Amino acid sequence: MRGRSRAAVWAGLAVLVAVAVPQTAWWDLNHTVFAQAVVSGLLIGGVYSLVAMGLSLVFGVLDIINFAHGALMTITIYVSYLLFQNYGVDPYVSLVITIPLMFVVGVGIQRFAINPVMDAPVHNQLLLTLGIAIIIENLALVLFTGTPRSIELAYARNEFDLGVVNLDFPLRVFGAVVSLPKLIAFLVALLLAGVLYLLMQRTQLGTAIRASAQEPEGAELVGIDVRRIYTITFGIGAACVGAAGSLVLPFLFVSPTAGSTFTIIAFVVVVLGGMGSIQGALIGGLVIGLTQELTQLFVPGSSKFLGVFIVFLAVLLFRPEGILGKARR
Amino acid sequence: MKRLTVFLSLLLSLVLVAAACGDDDAATTTTAAAESPATTEAAAPATTQAAPATTQAAPTEPPDPILIGAIHPLTGGLAGAGNRMDNGARMAVDEINAAGGIASLGGAPLELVSADSTGAAEVGVSEAERLISDGVSALIGTYQSGVTLPVAAIAERDGVPLVIDVAVDDSILDQGYSYTFRIQPNATSMGTNGAKFLSELGGDEIKTVAYLHDDTGFGVSVSEAFTAAAAALGIEVITDIPYAPFSVTDLTTEMAQAAAGSPDVIVITGYYNDGLLAARAATDLEVDVKAIVGIAQGAFHTPQFVEDFGADAELFFNSNYHFNSSDPAVAGILERFEATFDDAMDTEAMLAYQAIYVIADALERAGSSDPVDVQAALATTNITDHFLAYPGPITFDATGENTSAEPVLMQVVDGAVQQVLPAGLRETDPVFPGTPWGG
Amino acid sequence: MIRLRQIAAASSRDLLILLGVVAVLALMPLGVSSFTLSVATAALIFALAGIGWNVLSGFAGQFSFGHAAYFGLGAYTVAVTFTKYSISPWLGLLLGGLVAAIFGLLTGWISFRFGLKGAYFALATFALAELLRLTFNNFDYVGSGVGIAIPLAGGDSWGTLQFENTPAIRYFVALGLVALGTLAVIVIKRSRAGSRMLAVREDEDAAASLGINPLRAKLGAIAISGFITAVAGGYYVMFLMFIDPDLAFGPFISVVILLRPIVGGVGTIWGPIVGAAVLSILGEVTRSLVRDPPSFLQVIEGVNGLDQVMFGLILVLVIIRAPDGVIGLFRRFRKRSSQ
Repeated sequence: MRGRSRAAVWAGLAVLVAVAVPQTAWWDLNHTVFAQAVVSGLLIGGVYSLVAMGLSLVFGVLDIINFAHGALMTITIYVSYLLFQNYGVDPYVSLVITIPLMFVVGVGIQRFAINPVMDAPVHNQLLLTLGIAIIIENLALVLFTGTPRSIELAYARNEFDLGVVNLDFPLRVFGAVVSLPKLIAFLVALLLAGVLYLLMQRTQLGTAIRASAQEPEGAELVGIDVRRIYTITFGIGAACVGAAGSLVLPFLFVSPTAGSTFTIIAFVVVVLGGMGSIQGALIGGLVIGLTQELTQLFVPGSSKFLGVFIVFLAVLLFRPEGILGKARR
Repeated sequence: MKRLTVFLSLLLSLVLVAAACGDDDAATTTTAAAESPATTEAAAPATTQAAPATTQAAPTEPPDPILIGAIHPLTGGLAGAGNRMDNGARMAVDEINAAGGIASLGGAPLELVSADSTGAAEVGVSEAERLISDGVSALIGTYQSGVTLPVAAIAERDGVPLVIDVAVDDSILDQGYSYTFRIQPNATSMGTNGAKFLSELGGDEIKTVAYLHDDTGFGVSVSEAFTAAAAALGIEVITDIPYAPFSVTDLTTEMAQAAAGSPDVIVITGYYNDGLLAARAATDLEVDVKAIVGIAQGAFHTPQFVEDFGADAELFFNSNYHFNSSDPAVAGILERFEATFDDAMDTEAMLAYQAIYVIADALERAGSSDPVDVQAALATTNITDHFLAYPGPITFDATGENTSAEPVLMQVVDGAVQQVLPAGLRETDPVFPGTPWGG
Repeated sequence: MIRLRQIAAASSRDLLILLGVVAVLALMPLGVSSFTLSVATAALIFALAGIGWNVLSGFAGQFSFGHAAYFGLGAYTVAVTFTKYSISPWLGLLLGGLVAAIFGLLTGWISFRFGLKGAYFALATFALAELLRLTFNNFDYVGSGVGIAIPLAGGDSWGTLQFENTPAIRYFVALGLVALGTLAVIVIKRSRAGSRMLAVREDEDAAASLGINPLRAKLGAIAISGFITAVAGGYYVMFLMFIDPDLAFGPFISVVILLRPIVGGVGTIWGPIVGAAVLSILGEVTRSLVRDPPSFLQVIEGVNGLDQVMFGLILVLVIIRAPDGVIGLFRRFRKRSSQ
């Protein structure tokens, strides 16, 4: 981009910042509230990271814009809910069921619906996954009606004496509260991120996946069944977002559209972190979570997603490959 | 390719099977359930009945059913409430038919024609037009102000009365429509009475309020009305925090912001899901306030909230429309609803139920099913034996507002939602100051 | 730039088809309920919006996932100018188109200058639409979350573009707008500006090497595209008598707009109209099927959400089996039968 145009844009941005910053009244801010915003932002950011990781993988390897990503989360929210209501299965225990279940569902979706449009133009892929999302959401509606339901964990407000330290939930950290379900979601998300990273870097499967992402033809030549890799990758991506569903159940609610908010945020995180980068999704998720809550704090009277979309646009304009992505231009 | 087609066909069949096993409360239409009225046979045995004036020698053919259209979000994010309202209306229609239908029209039965607004204004409008061209004598609906406004315009244009069961925006009846009537309290009433209740509840102890509300027309209009009325009563809204009700997954930061100014009371306006998030946030933070008061809040007065939130729901206030729980007739209605639909009846469903009765009453007085005649009859409505906790009868002013529609202040006490103010409708004394975590 | 006589000659077939389509559609109001007419009018409005989308995403190849931005700007311009300044909606439509075109030029210039393409450009358009929605939601001047209601003028009035008594006129005006939009597209496709757009779509670098300025071509496309879609949005307000930020800028609207041309056939002149017709009929069929199913499917009656599931399934089928839309399917069929 030519020098003068670039300068014009920077000048415009400077004006914007000069006008906006005094509005935030950051000097007036209450420390406790600030701490809460940071804590809440990080906690939800962990979940965003997990959701985005699955998407990043799918995007990076299959080059597919999956608009049904959030809907997949809705599936596991319902499954975990049913297991909890009818059989008393703790949502975190249900991960053992939901993760493999979503892997299978993901494989199925990729095999039968996504595969045919792998080489189709982007708008077709988009509409296809949108169609899948519509099907999933409305199937949930048909089977369970639209009545919102929720669960509360019996032990969410308990005290845990771990010998070394006594944890009384909700925890107080610098005046901010950390609720147990959110903390667990955050920690498990990090754990799964680590597992995924190890899978990608240290296993044969991971190497095959990365090879298929970078050089599908080359990978084919060395004997990797790229089509099969695509299917497995989509399955893994679905398993990730499925895990997120079970993790959010205790602090969210059950409704056919419960997962759809996460779809858009997942895209923002993926672009921010860099497509195909697991670590990028992790960092990106935390950043977006923080942005979201801090916008709420600094720009009162507006939606907290305003900040998220501004960041989104900024990344698209100034660094579309994301924080940890490789420059694609 | 062929494999795919097979797969999709299998999926389609699976969906159809799923529908068969799906929840029943969305299944049947009213006509199947309506029993034919048995009161107008002259040859009936001489048991004295409250027989209608018009008797026939022998029933030649049953009178045509009178169609009433019901537009609610039966799919989409608000489907829970929408379906319950549709069921409430259905139950009313069944009961009226079982009691003999509309006497002044020869015992004509009512027929409910349900329509799905899907939560979108345009669909609500086209469904309204479909119902009108199908010949409905009146419409009820639609739960969302954003859908009700354009539907009211259609009702006005086509000359078919619309009885609003749930939709709060003042602006709907500010358009000068004569064909739209509302039985619930509007936004100004919600806000003003909410402020009044706070003043009555706390007296000098409530001077400052932090207001957390959704940023849709609902939350904005109610909060604005509240702020103005509260100021006149010496209560100041020191913090106003709007949030996006359908995209938030957590309200802890917002709640912390609300609590930061050390208000006496935190007020919340919004829908069910976000109400739940707000309640959780308040409980996690153990906000140091004298009470948490919902104003037209979608969750705090519902049995479901109490069930799902458990002991933590205790002592939450809500100033909202409510069925008159101190009326024994209402208890019967609640029981029948629960038995028929295996679902607890909420006030929204009661309002839909009431709306049908309002229309039936108008049909009786009009002696005609022509929409224009029904509108004229509706304008002179005066129903004292209604099912809502209002201080007076249902009557409509020149703009179509129900003049006596007021919210009541409720509180969750001992695990049940109970009316605490106004004193005349009190079921239990309010616990103030009081928060579930001990304040 | 536009050599009308030559263009007219080259597109005489398309013009004849347009005449035919308009003639057939003009017969629709005869003997049809006001409900069907209303559905048809809405279908035409979104067909027009899709025609606009098609110029940018079909001809110029820049896939837009946030066309609600233009739709909403057109809608709000008409709503605000009519309710606050008593400006005739006809003028409001033009103003709305201009506002949208300017918005498109500004945002397009920034996006293209920064080299946004493909999926990235699509995501940026989505973000812009969301930003508009969130901004309008908190902007008191335009009614913030409550929105703006258009007061009923009563009776029929060409001046205020309201036709209380004669829904047929509303339909005809919509038809007229669609005809104008299609005419514009026919002219553009055959003009030099149009071929520049198509060249840029096929291969931007090759086009540049031929002396075409890709930026100019894309900007031209976005301005025209925004204008047309904004006009559709402006008329939509007069149809619905109400607008709010979700209705104007919501992702739902963006999807509805792009669905029509894609199902009909991206980059074709008739795609949006064919797509609008197909989707409109499909929507009504699935809905009435669930409302009043034939006896052997009695079990699905009244089950909520089922019509959407069917809609989704059919959408998926169409995308997989007919990736070039209905028109593409038609062409393939013709090619095969002529072999």
